[in-house]
Amino acid sequence: MPQTRKVALVSGGSRGLGAELVSGFLDRRYGVATLSRTKTPFITDMLRARKRGHFHWGAVDGRDHEALRAFVKDVGERLGRIDVLVNNAGIAVEGILSTMRTSDIVEAVEVNLTAALVLAQACSRLMLRQGSGCIVNISSVNAIRGHSGVAVYSATKAALDGMTRSLARELGPRKIRVNSVAPGYFESDMVSDMTEEQKQRIARRTPLGRLAQIGEVANAVHFLTSDQASFITGQTLVVDGGITC
Amino acid sequence: MLTAPTPAKIESIVHGRIRAVLAERAVEVGTLSGADKLSATLGLSSLDLAFLVADLEAELGVDPFAKLVSITSVRSVEDLVRAYQLAFFPELQRRGEDDAVAAGVKRAQARRARRERR
Repeated sequence: MPQTRKVALVSGGSRGLGAELVSGFLDRRYGVATLSRTKTPFITDMLRARKRGHFHWGAVDGRDHEALRAFVKDVGERLGRIDVLVNNAGIAVEGILSTMRTSDIVEAVEVNLTAALVLAQACSRLMLRQGSGCIVNISSVNAIRGHSGVAVYSATKAALDGMTRSLARELGPRKIRVNSVAPGYFESDMVSDMTEEQKQRIARRTPLGRLAQIGEVANAVHFLTSDQASFITGQTLVVDGGITC
Repeated sequence: MLTAPTPAKIESIVHGRIRAVLAERAVEVGTLSGADKLSATLGLSSLDLAFLVADLEAELGVDPFAKLVSITSVRSVEDLVRAYQLAFFPELQRRGEDDAVAAGVKRAQARRARRERR
């Protein structure tokens, strides 16, 4: 399909922040591709509602590197280009490290970090040829502040921020920007297991006195991928209502 | 690209892409030689090389650096050409290995002859 629109690839776009980003990019007249392990009702609705060619979904397991590369190649061929990559896919892994199963550690690193590196590698090749592009890694406040029980999750997210800074230097000369967005707690599946009391405790510690709305986190991503952020690269934008300040 | 290009065609394509990158930099180069060092002679950066690899993958449909060849072993124009030729003609690798073995045997025979003369 001849693609005059910009194209965004969002990993993990079947639910939560990823789904919010998919909708946001479509509203901004981007062609959008997303991958997830399973097809959710959101994906089914998008496939039904959106004009053929402007939205593409693939069933891809983030641990399958070859499948990730093949998906990027397919998106490049279907939509003609990739202007934006949002490395959003991630799994929450919680527990005291000393009692955690090694397989859970490996899975978290594979999904949260290695998949992001593989996607950045594959997409940056297209972006190098285009001479432009934008990558946003979804990090976390856990990459900035230590919290008991999230050592593995923190490690993967802090590693993403390291990738952001180095890749920004690497790709900057070819006009490709790389940034991170580090959300604090926001209303999503990831906090759905928290009790109301736990959420209120977080809200009390937050200068703005509440958890973020998912759209407020997505807005930061849309800002960084817009021309308004044309001179911003290698940065981590913290969207946490001030909880880490 | 549906059919495998000839080794000469691959060389021509790789040379053409290198020239395009140099032209973008407004660098004038006469005849490209296989011995020209990509960095030291032509002034290409590692990012230029990454761009070349992405560009050549789009044109030739292969990436020899994904598994076959280490990018760090590519120093000269000839190294780059050979990496792509190997991607299409793996037998060149075997031929090269056979040549290396034959050269080794020849060197050993010469050493033995020198010892016997002494």
